[in-house]
Amino acid sequence: MIRLCNIYKNLGDFQLKNINLNIEDNEYFVILGPTGTGKTVILEVIAGMYKPDQGEVWLNDRNVTTEYPESRHIGFVYQDYMLFPHLTVQENIIFALKLKHTATTVMKQKLEQITTLLHIGKLLKRYPATLSGGEQQRVSLARALVAEPEVLLLDEPLSALDPHTKEVFQQELKNIHGQIKTTTIHITHDFNEALVLADRVGVMFNGEIVQVGSPEEVFQKPRSQFVAEFVGMDNIFSGDLIDEDGVKYVHIGPVRIHVVSNLIGRVRVAFRSEDIIIAEDKLFSSAQNTLPARIAEIIPRGPVFKVVLDAGISLVALITRQAIDKMNLEPGKNVWAVFKTTAVHVF
Amino acid sequence: MKNRLFHALLVLFILILFGFVFSALANIVWKGLAGMAQSIASKEIQFAIRLSLFTSFTSTLICIVFAIPVAYGLERFSFPGRKLVGVILDIPLSLPPLVCGVALLLLFGTTTFGRALAEHGLRFIFSVNGIILAQFFIITPYMVRVLKSTISDINPRLEFVARTLGCTQWQAFYKITLPLAKNGIIAGLVISWARAIGEFGCALMVAGATRMVTETLPVALFLNMSIGNLEMAMASATCLIIISLISLFIFEIVGGKHSPASRMS
Repeated sequence: MIRLCNIYKNLGDFQLKNINLNIEDNEYFVILGPTGTGKTVILEVIAGMYKPDQGEVWLNDRNVTTEYPESRHIGFVYQDYMLFPHLTVQENIIFALKLKHTATTVMKQKLEQITTLLHIGKLLKRYPATLSGGEQQRVSLARALVAEPEVLLLDEPLSALDPHTKEVFQQELKNIHGQIKTTTIHITHDFNEALVLADRVGVMFNGEIVQVGSPEEVFQKPRSQFVAEFVGMDNIFSGDLIDEDGVKYVHIGPVRIHVVSNLIGRVRVAFRSEDIIIAEDKLFSSAQNTLPARIAEIIPRGPVFKVVLDAGISLVALITRQAIDKMNLEPGKNVWAVFKTTAVHVF
Repeated sequence: MKNRLFHALLVLFILILFGFVFSALANIVWKGLAGMAQSIASKEIQFAIRLSLFTSFTSTLICIVFAIPVAYGLERFSFPGRKLVGVILDIPLSLPPLVCGVALLLLFGTTTFGRALAEHGLRFIFSVNGIILAQFFIITPYMVRVLKSTISDINPRLEFVARTLGCTQWQAFYKITLPLAKNGIIAGLVISWARAIGEFGCALMVAGATRMVTETLPVALFLNMSIGNLEMAMASATCLIIISLISLFIFEIVGGKHSPASRMS
């Protein structure tokens, strides 16, 4: 369990203001926010790199606010890995075990377990500079996990990876957390990571946590303009993913949505409201999802309008005033909702 | 056409400077080497070489003992007056060595502090200790500077990760930062040692120039020049040139190696 009470920290460029968080045992908590809002500082305060100006840090019913990092039992993984360049992969991983004078047999066993879990058995004799980004990140995670930390802190662990590696590693993070269940805080600016990984999400802006909740809550009911604009996911549904001759569909109630995914069975799908096109006639285009719909409501949202569509499921589209005028859109009108397969996130 | 002229000018300047430096050095080495065997056989040069090696190694050793913790402390810890301390420690870098010498002479010769040390057997004035003291005073700021830039190139987050893995501050320092600073430390050692062995002005003020007592290689050069013994003077000079060539060579090799992963992005 991690508890932050009224944390304030001023580092000049970055500030934390009145941070209050309760993270449960075994929870995977994602802090989501744009770059430069002080997300890393939260982790560094929890880990003990900085002492907060005000407030308290509790780990599993221990007040660790004034404790040194070395006595907090925390695993820390940075975006840029921070592997010790003068040590081999193996020496990096067993670093913590050696410090604790672990018996050689136990050390071997733990090393083997963690390298198997992260598929890095072949890298042990190499030096960090010779590894790819994805490999370095695995080693970095192994080094943190092998010490069996009470809490795992991940600072943008996927941001420096290429898209493919990122997707693979993201899934693996999910599986690993499913197995070892260490309480985890994961920091990111990518809402997709939050959707896939998070039990709960905390949205951060300007050094403050502005909203905490399940991914669905945060994405569907953003409590502020900022959260709404930042996450921008009005359309989230649960459904069943079915493979029909190599083509994947998600069935949501009466509607069938064309998707790209490796998952199967019960899934959730999400897409942004600005990805939906409203058409008067059925479009013949590259977009594979074309649903007949009736306009239920038109709600002004800042400079644009939120159009709620009834297509058997309730869809939200975001369009401009000019588009509404030109097409004479009004509640009750029958239209087509069009969106691309690749705009749909499946998780 | 204009580019050609520009290139020609560059080549010209390079040639002039190179010719100037090279001929000055080559001339002295050429003449020095001729009488080298004979000079080296002389008791005086042998004494000078031995004394130079002894004092320079001793002062470099003491220098590194101070420079590592000072550079690390100034680079990694913030305390009130840190900048001021850094600036004052840098002052000997820009002072003429003679001024440093006078300062040391006055501190250790005329104050109660200096007299107290002398009474307890630590005499610096007109003694070999004085040479070591002068060399230490001159080279330590260089060493601190080199080490500060080496340490600032090592990401502090490496140490921080080490601490989350269970290291105390001391352990994180000697298991992570110290090995990563190895090349910088070696480079600093070589360049400081080369400066120590060539140190003249400051040591002259503190330890004097007494034949066969405080006669290091530069002092031998000075004394023999002043009595017109060119052969011995050039032998000392050649020894010093060879030493500086070797250290420059080592510095280039070691200083050129950097492990990119340890550098801040």
